[in-house]
Amino acid sequence: MRKKGKRSRQLKALLLFGLTLTLVLMLIVATVGRQEFNTPHKLALEVLGSAQSGVSRVGGFFSTFWRNYSSLIGVREENERLKEELRKYKAATTLYREAVATNVRLTKLLELKETLPSPTLTAQIIGKDPSQWFKTLIIDRGSSDGVENGMPAVTVEGIVGQVVNTSPHYAKILLANDPNSAIDAIIQRTRIQGIIKGNGSGFDLYYVLKNADVSQGDELVTSGLGTVFPKGLLIGTVSSVTRSRRGMFQNITVAPAVDFSQLEQVIIIMKKASLAE
Amino acid sequence: MLIAIFLIIGTLCLVLQTTLLHGLPAWMGQPDLLFLLIVFAATHLDLFRGAVLALLLGLLMDIFSGIFLGLYPLTYLLVFFVLKGSTRHLAFTDTLHQIPLIVISYLFANGAIYVITSILAPEATLSWAWGNMIQQIIIMSVVCIPCCSVFRWLQTRMTPGSGSSFMALGSRPANRFKS
Repeated sequence: MRKKGKRSRQLKALLLFGLTLTLVLMLIVATVGRQEFNTPHKLALEVLGSAQSGVSRVGGFFSTFWRNYSSLIGVREENERLKEELRKYKAATTLYREAVATNVRLTKLLELKETLPSPTLTAQIIGKDPSQWFKTLIIDRGSSDGVENGMPAVTVEGIVGQVVNTSPHYAKILLANDPNSAIDAIIQRTRIQGIIKGNGSGFDLYYVLKNADVSQGDELVTSGLGTVFPKGLLIGTVSSVTRSRRGMFQNITVAPAVDFSQLEQVIIIMKKASLAE
Repeated sequence: MLIAIFLIIGTLCLVLQTTLLHGLPAWMGQPDLLFLLIVFAATHLDLFRGAVLALLLGLLMDIFSGIFLGLYPLTYLLVFFVLKGSTRHLAFTDTLHQIPLIVISYLFANGAIYVITSILAPEATLSWAWGNMIQQIIIMSVVCIPCCSVFRWLQTRMTPGSGSSFMALGSRPANRFKS
């Protein structure tokens, strides 16, 4: 019995050795030979390839799922962060735009300052008249800066008004469109003289005779008389001319050159002290 | 103390009116908060305190508005005394009741400014614009409700006799029945 079992094991070992040797020989022959997959190779590849493909797909699915899930965790925070960044950039853009606008405005003021004869002072408007009846402004320059009553205030576009009250660091300006304001003016084209008075929103030109040559679109400038405003500063443009049957004078309305509602800065034209003073 | 507090409130109102409220869209007008305070003073404060407050607020307004010094103290005192006299026997203490009072007194005050300015500067051509006036009246009627409520709340807190007064807190005895 024991001999029979031993022979059987020897036979199995012999068969296994023979099979392995055969496969090795087949592999060597196939490798050295045509370098192409034979049918068993192809069959094995097909089967394993399908399995690989399946596993890869499932793995890919789970991998993608996990990646999407894990990335979702940070999305809310990232979204908030991006929104915050967007807000910051928008605020920065607004600041830059404002800076550019201020730069343009100040450049124009500087150009005007260089053309004006007397020494000038730039002032910031810090308050406007709360009443419906009067048109005044408060500026951040006062008597300690050399501002005095009667000094004219102008912008690049034209005349603004004149200083009526001062304190050491602030001053009040009566706007040219206030009903209590009166400025001596001339029509630039025909050199006809008149008095510009404010009517709350714009100007009226008074004391221009009916036979005087005035037409719509004519520009008015300061005459230099009255010693408040220097000669030649733009006041506005004639917007309508009416010649009524009664009276000696024409009814002329003038559109201001300056938009009084948009004022931010003004230039105060300082007076040179005369020798008599 | 009450006058000082209302004077500070009035100053803040004036600063608001001359700065931030100018930035409001045109259709919203420019609510005259200081005037609301004058009307409130006329209906809720006693004669002496109210008159002093109206005078001081008028002097403040003179600094920021117009060119005739004394115009606003005169107008505000006029409005104050007229309101004080006319509402003596009327119950105008409720906020809603004050709306018609504000409408009438606003027209009266503007009429007074118009007349006084025309006398002081006859060459000035002031124009009475009903459109603006009605717009202002509507705005003031709306704004007066919260403003008067705040003013009254402050007055209640600052009056020594009232239960919730700031001033009375320190001096009130522990036993209220004790003389």
